[in-house]
Amino acid sequence: MAMLQSAHWPVLIDVYFFLGGLAGGAFVIATAALLVDAVRYRDVVRVGYYLAFVALVPCPVILIVDLGVPLRFLNMVLNFNPLSPMSMGAWALLGFSTAAFLAAVMTLLEDLGKVRDLSGPKLIVGVIGGAMGFFLAAYPGVLLGATARPLWINAHVLGALFLAVGASSGAAAMALVLAVLRGRDRDGVARLGTTIVLALLIQLLAVIGFVWSVQASGSSQALKALALITSGPYSTLFWGGAIVVGSVVPLLLGLLGLKRPSVGLTAVVSVLVLVGGFLVKTLIMAAGQV
Amino acid sequence: MARTLAMFTDTSLCIGCRACQVACKQWNELGLEVPEWTGTYQNHAHFTDKTFRLVRFIEEPKPTGDLAWLLMSDVCKHCADAGCLNACPTGAIYRTQYGTVNINQDVCNGCRYCVSACPFGVVSFNESTGTAKKCTFCNDRIHNGLGPACAKACPTESIQFGFRDDLVPKAQKRVETLKAMGFKDAQLYGADSAGFLGGLNAFFLLLSKPSTYGLPDNPKLPQKNIFVDSLLSIGSALLVGLGALVAFRRRGPGGES
Repeated sequence: MAMLQSAHWPVLIDVYFFLGGLAGGAFVIATAALLVDAVRYRDVVRVGYYLAFVALVPCPVILIVDLGVPLRFLNMVLNFNPLSPMSMGAWALLGFSTAAFLAAVMTLLEDLGKVRDLSGPKLIVGVIGGAMGFFLAAYPGVLLGATARPLWINAHVLGALFLAVGASSGAAAMALVLAVLRGRDRDGVARLGTTIVLALLIQLLAVIGFVWSVQASGSSQALKALALITSGPYSTLFWGGAIVVGSVVPLLLGLLGLKRPSVGLTAVVSVLVLVGGFLVKTLIMAAGQV
Repeated sequence: MARTLAMFTDTSLCIGCRACQVACKQWNELGLEVPEWTGTYQNHAHFTDKTFRLVRFIEEPKPTGDLAWLLMSDVCKHCADAGCLNACPTGAIYRTQYGTVNINQDVCNGCRYCVSACPFGVVSFNESTGTAKKCTFCNDRIHNGLGPACAKACPTESIQFGFRDDLVPKAQKRVETLKAMGFKDAQLYGADSAGFLGGLNAFFLLLSKPSTYGLPDNPKLPQKNIFVDSLLSIGSALLVGLGALVAFRRRGPGGES
């Protein structure tokens, strides 16, 4: 057995991966709604941009606190290393935070009635920021794949999976906020419900791809780590929490909602999706580091 | 760039005296560690932030039923394609003019990505300094015309220090000699610059297959995954993005579009 070491990143980093993905997903979905119809989906766009900004606020704090020498956090942005997903991620966080801040400020200016319509500038920031937001959602998966940890180096879909989780959780968080605060935007909630269903489908496909690629690698160490999730100590949380309660049940309820949209149902779906998405990322992080 | 320096560890000559391990500790002022029970004479089980040279004691069953005692003084491989160096987001990990790989302790911010990215489990995190640590190839010594402390202390010349292009032919000859003596599994590990990780600047002569020593048979550069993993992420991004557009464009539940 090769003797590898682990970074032992704490759960706090899982929280960052989750929030960063959620922010990226919410921002992209808000931009999609803005692209289609700025007036009709005004509330969806507002909630998406505010949420992306709020979810990003704790992110740099988490990353800095986790460092061995927190005061040297700036060294990340004094260097540019395209071969290091962590370096690229630091730049993406900086760029996307700027975009999310601008989008939130423009939305606030509209809400305060200072400016009538900033759809044009918001669209420019939304499209450029959206690309960076998707990058922020996906890069942690690519980062894990570019380590020597057997579970991660043999799974090629972690970036794709993390991005899908970011989209599903971003849409879910938006739907939940709209459902709680603005129950009147039934149409927006219904369309976010559809987005959740589509993102969940991709997420489930990516989970299957993850298990399949690790099994296909034949690496005994990778299989041992995978077994922690599929049949070992994390299996109840994985099958019961991440897959059944967090993905399959909300997918079925979401499909039901496509026929008969209901704000209450979408809110329930959203809570389940948020829990499931967090569990997927956390369990892959935990099993990969044992 | 100057000629590449290397260390050639010939495990067939190692007597397990641990002079290298002690010399490394003393020269590099590596602190005290609590010993651990590993089931053999080996201490510690793995590289740590205070153990950069580690003599491995491995018992391998022979066909006769006896045990062969394999001894190997392990160290950072100073890979030509180094996973730790590629992973470093701050530029703290750098390659010296002699081809060795070092961590600038004044720049490292302790993100620990290199710890997970090393295919050999070499890089370790030091809680008190908050930085990553590993063998420096005695950077101070080699820049002053001295060999690494471990090589200097080795009484059997199991650890040899020199220019890489001098050491590799020497190592190849040694394998032939050992094979002629009946060590049929004698092999070089990491000597081939066209092989894995672009060759190792600390390479080894092993008497059994690499996995017997806890070494990966064919270590992979982690960053090789980035291209494919990124493409799959872009695919996922396109699907999700299109999905969101479709969700907002399709005919609404009330019949309005």
